[in-house]
This record gives sequence, C-alpha cells and structure tokens, in this order.
Amino acid sequence: MSRSDGGSADGSGSDRVPSIARRVVTPFVDRSVAERLLISVAAILLSIAVGFAIVLVSGRVAQCSTAAWTMPVTGLGFCYDPFEVYLVLFNGALGYPFAIGEPGLFDPSWTPFNLSFGLTLSETTLLIFTGLSVAVAFRAGLFNIGTQGQLVVGALATALTVLAAAPFLPEGPVAGAVLIVVGTLAGAVGGGLWGAIPGALKAYADANEVITTIMLNFVAANVAYVLVLEVFRAEGSSVVATRYVPEYAQFLPWLFPQSSDFALLALLVGVGFIAGLYYLVEHTSFGYDLRTSGMQAAAAEYGGVNAKLTTVRAMTLSGAIGGVGGSLWVLMSEGRWMASVPDLGFDGITVSILAGNNPLGVLPAAFLFGLLKGGALEIGFRTDVPTELVGVLRGLIILFVAMPEFFRMFGRYAGIGSSGPGGSGGSESSAANADDDAAVADGGETDA
Amino acid sequence: MRNPLADLTIPVLDDLIESDYVRSLIVGTVGVLGVLLVFGALFPETVVGDLSGIVFSTSTAASTSRLAAPIVLAGLGGIFAEKSGVINIGLEGLLIISAFVSVYVASVVGIGNTVLGVPAIWVGFLGGIAASTALAGVFGVVCIEFKADQIIAGLAVWLIALGLAPFMSTVFFGGVNTPNLGARIGWRYSATMVVVATVASWWALNRTAFGKHLRAAGENPKALDTVGISVSKVRHAGVLLSGVLSGIGGSALALSIGQFIGSGETMVQGKGFIAIVAYLFGNYNPVGTLGAGVLFAGLDATQIRLQQLGYAVPDTLVQTIPYVVVIVVLALVGRTRLPEAAGEHYETED
Repeated sequence: MSRSDGGSADGSGSDRVPSIARRVVTPFVDRSVAERLLISVAAILLSIAVGFAIVLVSGRVAQCSTAAWTMPVTGLGFCYDPFEVYLVLFNGALGYPFAIGEPGLFDPSWTPFNLSFGLTLSETTLLIFTGLSVAVAFRAGLFNIGTQGQLVVGALATALTVLAAAPFLPEGPVAGAVLIVVGTLAGAVGGGLWGAIPGALKAYADANEVITTIMLNFVAANVAYVLVLEVFRAEGSSVVATRYVPEYAQFLPWLFPQSSDFALLALLVGVGFIAGLYYLVEHTSFGYDLRTSGMQAAAAEYGGVNAKLTTVRAMTLSGAIGGVGGSLWVLMSEGRWMASVPDLGFDGITVSILAGNNPLGVLPAAFLFGLLKGGALEIGFRTDVPTELVGVLRGLIILFVAMPEFFRMFGRYAGIGSSGPGGSGGSESSAANADDDAAVADGGETDA
Repeated sequence: MRNPLADLTIPVLDDLIESDYVRSLIVGTVGVLGVLLVFGALFPETVVGDLSGIVFSTSTAASTSRLAAPIVLAGLGGIFAEKSGVINIGLEGLLIISAFVSVYVASVVGIGNTVLGVPAIWVGFLGGIAASTALAGVFGVVCIEFKADQIIAGLAVWLIALGLAPFMSTVFFGGVNTPNLGARIGWRYSATMVVVATVASWWALNRTAFGKHLRAAGENPKALDTVGISVSKVRHAGVLLSGVLSGIGGSALALSIGQFIGSGETMVQGKGFIAIVAYLFGNYNPVGTLGAGVLFAGLDATQIRLQQLGYAVPDTLVQTIPYVVVIVVLALVGRTRLPEAAGEHYETED
C-alpha cells in the first residue's frame, strides 16, 4: 500500500502508470497537497502495520493461560489478538456500529449519540484547537512545541476567571453563556500571552523557539501547579484542582450522554475556527505576511513585511488558539482545572504534522487521533493488550509522517518494479490504482 | 591544495567571549559554594548552617550524582549529535528506553546469575545501552538517510519510547512499574562514569581527528566532503554516540534504584530535556555541561534534603529554576550558537 502511495507521489513513476488518483485529484488540489495526503495515509497504514507486529511479538512473549489468537499454518498461540485489537480500537471508538460475528454489517440499535463516540468527539474537539495552534505557527515558520504550556495557562485563566465572575451574575442560562464567552476570552488571552513570550524572544533576542517553548511548557505546568496547590485549591479536594465552575457555565452535552464530556456546540466552534483560520491564512494580508515570513524571511522583509512583528503575532495567535483549547478542556471536559492535564498540546503537534499544517487537514487528523484516544479506552475494557499501545502508535505515526523521503524512495523503487515489461507489471499497477482510490476517498472526506 | 578544514573556526575554544562565559559560570558556582561554606561554618545554628551542612554532606553528594548522571550523560550525547549537525531532541526517549530495558534485561538474567562472568545488573546495564543505541540508530537513519525533519523525528523518538516502555513493562511485568530488582548500582559508579565520560568527550571533541570531523559535519559539511570524508557516516557516528551516552545515563538512573517507574512521564521526568538545557547552558562544552548538570541536580538534591529537615521549600518551583535559567540565558547572556548546518540535510554532490 505504501508503495503505491509513494508511486503516485513520485512524478516519473506515475508517467508510466497513469494513476486514476492523479486525474481525480489534480483539478482540485495542487500536487504538494495531494502528495502530503498520500504520505499521511501511507504513514498511518505503516504505523498500523508496525503496531500489528508489536502486538504480535508482545503477545508471543507475554504469559497467559489461554491463547487469544492462534496463527494459521504455524499453530503458534499468541496472548493478544492483533485483529481484535484494531477492531476494538476503531469500532469501539465509534460505539460499535459494526456488528461483528453476527448477521448484517451494521448493528441496527446503534446511534451516533453513544458514550464512546462522544468521548471520541470530545478528544477530537480539543485536538482541533491544539492542532490549529501548532499549524498556524508552522505556517509562519515557527515550531511551537509550547502549545501544551499555552493550553495549561489558558485553562487556568479560564477556570479562575469563571470562578471569580460567577458570583456577580444571577444563575441561569444567560449568565452561563456570558461566563462561557468571558472564560474562553480569558483562556485566549492567557494562552496568547504565554505564546507571545517565545515569539518575542525569537524576534528580538534570537532565542530558538523550539528550546524556549519546551522550557515554557515545564514552567507553565510547574507554576500553575504551585498556584493551584497554594492559593486556588478547592477545599477538601484530594487532588490538586480548583473548584468546579458552576454547572450552567459549562457546555451542555446536546444529544450526547452527560458523561461523554462532549458538547456538539464546542465541535461546531472548532469547525468555525478551522474555517476562520483557513480564510485568515490563505486569503488575508496578515496570512500572506505569515506565510511569506515562514517560507522566506529575508524576502518577506524585503517585500515590506515586518518579520519580527509577524513572528510575535503568529506566536500570540498560536498561543491564543491553544489557550481556547484549554478553555474547552475546562468548560467542556473537566469542569475545573486539575493538575493532571492530558498531553493535548503534544498530540496537537502530531495532528498538525499529519494535516500537513493545513487548517483544513486538521479536522480529519484530529478525528483520527480522537478515534485512537477513544479506542484506547475500549482496548483497556475489552482486551488484555496494554492501552499504552496507542501511545506507541502516536509516536510511530509522527515518525513516519516526518520522513516523506522514505515514501518517495519506496515509490521510486516501486515505480521501477512496475515498469517491467508486459503483464507482470500490469497486476501491480492495477492494485496500486485501487489503493490510490482508497486514498482519494479519504481525501474527499478531508476536504468536505 | 590547502586543507579546507584549517579555515574552520571552533566556537567553543576559539571564541574568547564564549570561553569567558564558561569561565564566569565556573567561578560563580565555586564562589557561591565558598561563601556558603564560610557562612555555614560561622553560623552553624542558622538556615545557612543547615544549608551548608546539606550541600557538603555525603548523602547530598550521593543523590546529586544519582540525579546528575542521566542529565550530564544525555547532555554529552546531545553535544555529539548536535555538533555533527543532527539536533537530537529525543534524548528523553533514549533515557526512557534504556532505563526500562536495563531493568528488564537484569531481571531476565536474574540477580545473582552471571553471563560470561558479568553480574546480571551489569548485563542489564549493557542491555540498556544497546537499546538506546539501537533507537538512536533508527533516529539517525530516519534523519540522515530519509531526510526527516530532525525536530519532528526527535519528538517521535520521545513519544515512541514514552509509549513503548510502559507498554512492554505491562506485557512483561503486568504493570507500568517493574518490580524492584533488589539490587542496585552504587552512586560512586555513576559519579565515576559521569566524570570519565565528560573528560573523554572533551578529549574526543577537541583533541582527535574524529572530533574535528564531527564539528566540520555540523559547521561546514561541504568542506568535510571536499577532503573525502563522508558527512553521513560522521553524522551517524555522532547520533549513535548520543545513543550510547544516553543509554549509560538511562541505565544508571534506573539501576541506581533497581526499578523502572513508568507512570505519567516515567521516572525520567523530563531529564532528557534538562539535558538539552545543560548542554546549551554549558555552550556545547562537555565540562560546562557537567557543571550545569551537577548544578541542576544539586539544586534538586539540596531541596529534597531541606524538606526532610522541615523547611517548607516549594519543591516544584525549585525544579522550575533550570527551565527559567535556560530561557534567560538564551535571551540575555549567551546567544548559544547552533552549529551552522545543524538541522539541515546534506546532499553529497557526486
């Protein structure tokens, strides 16, 4: 599969093998986007394959009373069933819409408004914001590893603002709406300020933003922890956390179960952010400044762009989006700020890279990671396989996406292979086309 | 024909300002310790007395060297990789994987058994180094052969190890934390390894042909190519060395306790990132890295002891100091200069 993806990514290979994918894709998107898409899909498939091997090997080494899966032909028993793992992962993340081992493909009693799917979408929503945060900075040529810290600061700002403002307003839905808006703004300001620090350091002191953002992540986590521990800790709480924000100031879980921590409205806001940022980056003069200073800082400066100011603005914007992600984490998922903030910011890096740093790509990439996160819980419930597998998959995906040259090389190799005389190459190329179609189908969903 | 390598400037040694910077760091640290010793001796009943007693006690030395080993060793590894032109941000991952594998191998061999006369715990130690080196090798291939973005690939190394170590621990031991081996490596071994590795690294970087090639690969790969030395090979060597050194650090960390702890950020807890801080703070100088690593670890060890004596020290804030320090240093004092070609791919012109 990866060979075909690489094959069509490589120009010379596809001259020999006229690809349906190319003809379908070219009118809509330019080639680099199509190539990125293919590489992302190939990277996901390759990670799944490597994860499969890891499950297989560890299933052989682990000890159990009965084998969960027996390999055909060899008769070797394995403690973990690698097929079941992925079935549970993806099917479970959606709330088991597919009936397995029963007649019919779909389970008729399935509705999209179930707990598991809600959890998946909840993760997706949060990852949209962290992914966008990283993507915006990337487009300006800045590697913001600090989204995690910006999210932590934004979340704390939101929680404290809402807690402080709540007593001044009468309880009710109107006050709730006001508090949500004010809290989200506070998150954006908090995250934005925290993001502006590395931006300013980069612009005016030439300090590498990769290093400073990593360091600021630790600083944010530690300082927020101490602040809450010493000053804002809820009375009688066994964990380091603030008080809960009032119920009416949290996003309401329309249609979905309360415990899924998911609000459709928040997802819609996320989609709105995607559209807004796409417009901002691609169709405004600020977006133009951003992109040019990302691609060619010197040329941008020559063309009249204030590169230093653009750097600070880009990092502030990036931080503000990360901060809004933190707001939603508080107002949608947790209802309070607590010390064990999940790695949403780091996952945002993976999401952004997988999306090719394109705001539009963030939606499917965030959904994929939402699936992985939601599915991890199901793996824990239904199988013996350690849920840390999902962490490994995350790392593998980011590793493979980072090495497009690998797929290009593989594509060149495959291109040579399929250019062989006559029929021998024919079957291969048709198989390649079939795979490309699958990739395009994914792509169609991407842009929708 | 003149040797193009002769024109290379070597920032650490040749640049007077830079060496001044390291010297002032050393003088400052020694000065503070000296003042502390004098005041501690004069006023033994005060906080200063307690502090002085802590800083100059054996138990603090022991815990400092235990905490410093992974930081300094990974930092030294980071120097080799970055000097060769490959920014290795995955040091944290290398520490995690070696910490786990060292404990795993030692428990498979079984404490009390030996392999070819080597006691199990040291077999585990070597196993940890091998695992870290293998992962660094993969990182090197990905970055150098497949031209991956080094920062992203480094993050991937960290994330893979962060997932894989607790995953394997659960597979083999039924939980993210391994059981305690019941045996451990004394702090004197760690301290010795740190000092030996520092001196050896300094010597290798500044006094050998390999060191010269390594710096050339990072500063001016074309010059290295011109004299007929493969830039890729030199960079692979740099990355593998970062794996070996981080492996020593990770194994020393886990085996000094005799256990791998895999919950949360694992027992490594950001030490790989502090290692990056340490070598930037030490401005790519192994001796400076040792100083920075010992300083950070010493702060932590002192803070732990102060708390044991009943002083309310905000431990989390003390642990934050290194991170703030590096930001301030990057912004104000020494604009640490990355090697010229670090982070860039080099294409040989055939």
